[in-house]
Amino acid sequence: MKFVILYGTESGNAETVADDLVDELSADNEVESIDMTDAELDTLTPDAFFLVVCSTHGDGGLPASAVPFAELLDAERPDLTGIRYAMFGLGDSSYETYSRGSERIDERLAALGAIRVGEYGRHDASDGSLPNDTALEWARDLVSTLDDVAAVA
Amino acid sequence: MNEPAAPKPAPRIAIVGAGPAGCYTAQFLRKRWSLADIVIYDRHDAPYGLIRYGVAPDHLGTKAIAKQFDRLFARDGVTFVGATDIGTDLTLDQLQADFDVVVLATGLWADRMIDTFHSAATTAVGAAPVAAAPLAGVYGAGRLTRLINGHPAESVQGLHIGRRTVIVGNGNVAVDLVRLMLTPAEVLVSHGVPNEVAAALTAGPLEHMDVVGRSPVYAAKFDLAMIRELGKLDDVRFTSDSPGDDVDENDETAAQAAGTDAPADGTAKADAIRELVEGSSPTATRTVAFHFGWTPDRVFASDAGEVGDAGEAGEARVSRVTFTATPGAGQRDATLELSTDSVCTAVGFTETEGALLRRDAIASPTADLERGLLADGLYCVGWFRRGPVGTIPANRADARTVADAIIHDVEAAAAVLEAAVTST
Ligand SMILES: Cc1cc2nc3c(=O)[nH]c(=O)nc-3n(C[C@H](O)[C@H](O)[C@H](O)COP(=O)(O)OP(=O)(O)OC[C@H]3O[C@@H](n4cnc5c(N)ncnc54)[C@H](O)[C@@H]3O)c2cc1C
Ligand SMILES: Cc1cc2nc3c(=O)[nH]c(=O)nc-3n(C[C@H](O)[C@H](O)[C@H](O)COP(=O)(O)O)c2cc1C
Repeated sequence: MKFVILYGTESGNAETVADDLVDELSADNEVESIDMTDAELDTLTPDAFFLVVCSTHGDGGLPASAVPFAELLDAERPDLTGIRYAMFGLGDSSYETYSRGSERIDERLAALGAIRVGEYGRHDASDGSLPNDTALEWARDLVSTLDDVAAVA
Repeated sequence: MNEPAAPKPAPRIAIVGAGPAGCYTAQFLRKRWSLADIVIYDRHDAPYGLIRYGVAPDHLGTKAIAKQFDRLFARDGVTFVGATDIGTDLTLDQLQADFDVVVLATGLWADRMIDTFHSAATTAVGAAPVAAAPLAGVYGAGRLTRLINGHPAESVQGLHIGRRTVIVGNGNVAVDLVRLMLTPAEVLVSHGVPNEVAAALTAGPLEHMDVVGRSPVYAAKFDLAMIRELGKLDDVRFTSDSPGDDVDENDETAAQAAGTDAPADGTAKADAIRELVEGSSPTATRTVAFHFGWTPDRVFASDAGEVGDAGEAGEARVSRVTFTATPGAGQRDATLELSTDSVCTAVGFTETEGALLRRDAIASPTADLERGLLADGLYCVGWFRRGPVGTIPANRADARTVADAIIHDVEAAAAVLEAAVTST
């Protein structure tokens, strides 16, 4: 299976999550990780499964590296029918806008026709833990359900 | 891309300062050059700079950013050399001789002082300031936040916060102090604050705080989330002397003059303060009074001997502070006078007096600060490059810019060398 990890970060946590997901998945799969800042429309192809990892900054806003991607989607409004993705949001529940940044990306992808699959993963930084372990567990669960889906199909 | 992968240069890189700017720079350089020797020096035993010794201990999410940097040393092959002060233990020249690239990421962590506040005020307004010893009871936020974070070189000796304190400043560091000083000792200790520091901060116990800022509320520097967080404190009534309702035209002009993107942003700040005031309990036993648009004037000491039980015998202690209305900030009265046991200034950070590494002294005529270049093979990043403003993420953006410049310069030099070799 081909995975593309699209990450949006501001203080770097989501990027280290993406690095760990690459290590985890690359034993059995083709995996690539891309900073949302560098994503182009032809990155979004139906032959890959997307793991979207995005934090929240400001007051419920997008992290800096996700802003160009959101602007690209808003400006070009590509048809994302056939694209499947899963979401993992990084945030801090001491903010009222917990994990809202990731939701802003999720809403855009869904509105353009992409289909979200599996659990919406979240990590809460207010307990002082790193998101990496939570994200790995989330990805393992997700991949096992994807395998089920593939086996049935 | 089908070009054959060129062998990547593996320069030897020294980074001075293991704060966020230095660590992010190491991350970006490591991504590009998997084989480069990268060594980060710090004068402290432990890395991470102000993430460790500045960021408030109850902000666990922000503190946790340090954990991503643990990976640099644990598995990315970056070497940490602590307890090494560059300038004294090792000279900058020595480092430059031993490494191809040296990056200064030493920050700016000394408290900015208010001349008339940090020394006993015995002069009339307008007269030359006297170089008096620091007045007991006046503290810089840097010292307080280092104490709160268990900095090894700080001592709680002489710290007396009584029943009333004045916080000067309107930034996030001032708000950190407000919150931490009103947090119960046992909660502070549960976040790792040393016992004796938690005890000293809550000894008064504080009954009243005045938080005084130079700008009108619309131009205050704190983030909204920081103000909203204050609403979670128990048993505190908040007040504000900022004119209530809608954006006052004068305030708006003052805010624009102060360079914020008022009124949109500024209105939100005024709203956040108003919500905090309106949402707080009128019967709380502790009060926090915000004052906006007041410029520090002077501090007055109680006479030696007239000291209360908190002071050392015979020591002159702060007893009163005055402020004058900031021109154009929409205040009606000319002065604000507050009686107090202690004063905490949170008005920014600056170069340490006598610092051996000073950016302007080191920069060569070919320096290009936009890219972080100080001289051939010598770069700077973070607060040391940009000045003491901006959050941890801002240092990541900064580190990317400077790392890109380093990568460009090193690879361009390697290409020139290669061309010279193939042409002979
Ligand atoms: C009290 C306070 C609270 C803050 N709270 C937050 C917050 O909640 N969230 C946020 O995003 N930002 C916060 N900030 C801002 C943030 O801390 C800074 O943006 C950031 O730390 C600047 O990074 P730096 O690497 O440039 O400097 P520093 O973090 O200061 O790192 C510099 C490092 O260099 C070392 N060093 C200095 N001189 C030498 C030398 N000669 N030889 C060897 N080593 C040396 C120091 O020991 C230090 O480790 C806060 C700042 C302060 C002061
Ligand atoms: C300045 C700042 C603002 C933040 N604002 C929010 C927010 O509004 N909502 C939220 O859920 N988390 C917020 N967070 C928490 C981050 O989303 C969380 O720390 C995350 O792990 C950061 O991931 P990143 O390093 O990939 O950007 C904020 C963090 C910082 C430092």
